[in-house]
Amino acid sequence: MKYQSQAVAKPYFVAAIGLFVAQILFGLIMGLQYVIGDFLFPEIPFNVARMVHTNLLIVWILFGFMGAAYYLVPEESECELFSPKLALLMFWIFLAAGALTILGYLLVPYAALAELTGNSLLPTMGREFLEQPTITKIGIVIVALAFLFNIGMTVLKGRKTVITLVLLLGLTGLAVFFLFSFFNPDNLVKDKFYWWWVVHLWVEGVWELILGAILAFVLIKTTGVDREVIEKWLYVIIALALITGIIGTGHHYYWIGTPDYWQWWGSIFSAMEPLPFFMMTVFAFNMVNQRRRNHPNQAAVLWALGTAVMAFLGAGVWGFLHTLSPVNYYTHGTQITAAHGHMAFYGAYAMVVLTIISYAMPMLNGRTAANSGKSQVVEMWSFWLMTVSMVFITLFLTGAGVLQTYMQRYTDNPQPFMVVQGRLELFYWMREVAGLVFLVGAVLYIISFFVGGEEPEQA
Amino acid sequence: MKNLNRPELNKSSPSGPPLESTRGGPHIENSRDAIHVKHSPSESSDERTYPPGDVALWIFILAELLVFGVFFSAYAFTRASNVELFNTCQRTLDTNSALINTLALITSSYFVMRAVAAIREDKSQQCFQWLLAALLMGFVFLVVKSGEYLHHYDAGINLRTNLFYMFYLSLTFFHFMHVILGMVILTAVAIKATKGGYSAAEHTGVESGASYWHMVDIVWLVLFPLVYIMH
Amino acid sequence: MNQTGTKTIYAVRPCTFVYIVLMTLTVITWLVGKAGLHGLEISLFVLSFALFKGLLIGDYYMGLRGIKGLWRWVIIIWLLLPGSLITWAFVSAS
Repeated sequence: MKYQSQAVAKPYFVAAIGLFVAQILFGLIMGLQYVIGDFLFPEIPFNVARMVHTNLLIVWILFGFMGAAYYLVPEESECELFSPKLALLMFWIFLAAGALTILGYLLVPYAALAELTGNSLLPTMGREFLEQPTITKIGIVIVALAFLFNIGMTVLKGRKTVITLVLLLGLTGLAVFFLFSFFNPDNLVKDKFYWWWVVHLWVEGVWELILGAILAFVLIKTTGVDREVIEKWLYVIIALALITGIIGTGHHYYWIGTPDYWQWWGSIFSAMEPLPFFMMTVFAFNMVNQRRRNHPNQAAVLWALGTAVMAFLGAGVWGFLHTLSPVNYYTHGTQITAAHGHMAFYGAYAMVVLTIISYAMPMLNGRTAANSGKSQVVEMWSFWLMTVSMVFITLFLTGAGVLQTYMQRYTDNPQPFMVVQGRLELFYWMREVAGLVFLVGAVLYIISFFVGGEEPEQA
Repeated sequence: MKNLNRPELNKSSPSGPPLESTRGGPHIENSRDAIHVKHSPSESSDERTYPPGDVALWIFILAELLVFGVFFSAYAFTRASNVELFNTCQRTLDTNSALINTLALITSSYFVMRAVAAIREDKSQQCFQWLLAALLMGFVFLVVKSGEYLHHYDAGINLRTNLFYMFYLSLTFFHFMHVILGMVILTAVAIKATKGGYSAAEHTGVESGASYWHMVDIVWLVLFPLVYIMH
Repeated sequence: MNQTGTKTIYAVRPCTFVYIVLMTLTVITWLVGKAGLHGLEISLFVLSFALFKGLLIGDYYMGLRGIKGLWRWVIIIWLLLPGSLITWAFVSAS
């Protein structure tokens, strides 16, 4: 580590990985409930498991982003973090708020939780992915503002680079768009309209900036390619991501009561959303091919390349599959959406956090640049196990989704929802098995940080 | 850790070839100094394999062209099933304004070309003046187009009026935003040019800005007959 | 060497000539609109003007004329793709 204050990233990374494993466990519970409906009922009903699964995802990715920012901003700015103490304080506040919220979901009925947290004063609960009690949302805003302040002050006092600029832009957007989670109009169309400003403009807008910045940082460090070259690509990629992503919000406005023109705007612009991801893949592979040295942390390079490829497949290709309005007319809300959601979140955001952790953790643990060869072998196993099993999860869900779309909607003799679900059982079982392999991969990832610690670094 | 932090080697060559040196194709760059080969006017034309300006920007241009291409085709095929509606509404558009705008963009493209030619002869101040003239033409476009929009607004026409106006407004407004972006880029280039930031040996920035601006022009050249004239 | 390089890619005089051609074709297109001419043949005629103008900009102003390889053709390929789709749509509509 170059700067002492980079060390505050470590608790963030540890928490991220811990919550990641919890998310996988709840995913497995849900996966089983797809085929054994009353599994763990009434302790953990499906809707609660789903809420915990998705909320944990958001929280651990946010922990990862914050950790990444605390790690890379001092190094980019060439100065210590503005206030490491504030960063640590925010860590504990965020962790406590997150844990209390999850416990609230699990221990109290949702309606009681709403009452308990005074939701009627400022109603924001009850909407998918934004289920958090209002008080938790306020906590998230406070943490985000303190975090932005801390990072912003660091950037201001130090060297300004394109990477910190893009990262700061992304993080600011993340905080600003979250404010729409407090906007809860009575009109259901408007409610959904602005709800997407949080959900879509996060994952298909500003998060892509954060993803680009983290990936560019790791590539600069591991390949030694000119900063100018990487920054130039970063500019082009984020410009394209924003143009296509912002207007592409329209692909959520097909069937919620918004005007007709969204069919066209949404279809055309969201169809272009794979382009920046494709460029990211080309960019990452070119940078690694052009490398000026072989970085000892080959596991981190593998993760970086994997991120580029899987983000393109998951977010780009699987998104394109059902983004055109005439197609979406049939596929809307089927298992195709679930397939896309799984591979896109894993490929883009889970993997980029695992990349920066893989790159930074050895240094945070006091090593010079990388873990031992033995540790990296375990880590690469975890990469392949998680990635391949996620590909299978996606393929099984896609198969289920195609059949579901056909049997339930497209055929001349449509079947009821539950009948179709019954016929898809085999796919759901296979998905669950792939999910177990994924869990093994995640556990190996953790183990990799504890093996071969006494061995020398790979040359 | 000492081997970890030397990424900013070669800071003095911001123009280094980004992609080409890994490509399998003919690399003329390998045997010479990168700056010299890519941007020097002394190179003969039959050696160039990359367009003027930065390759990353050209990829961006291609992506933009793709979006416009899809939009144009969507317009044409939607028109095919709504010919009457499109023909009727098309007649309400102001072709005089469109003419002025087309001439303005062509002229500004010409000026931008002159700016590149000037910097290739190391004439920074001339380059700056041509860019200024081009920006002025861009401004004319913005004013005239805004006048048209104002007219439509007064007539109560918006995206929801009908399919034709939806396409007309979306297409021209998306292009309008590109004119603004192009002008922002040209302004940045002009400012750097007047500070002497470019030379005959190194002017990738001017070429990149110029290429983007020409792209905005080409798109309009297709848009103009498609939306205003062809019926 | 110096002169050839500059001339082939950004020679001012041919570009000025191209400028006059571009302006003329534009005015003709506008006159077609003013005269209220319409129909498939007129539309395709006007479209071909537009594509040709795009070609001139790409070749002379962007300087693609002077380079070798795939990049030389990008603008031409782009003009042909939506150009032929638009043609197809107009033919099918008439």
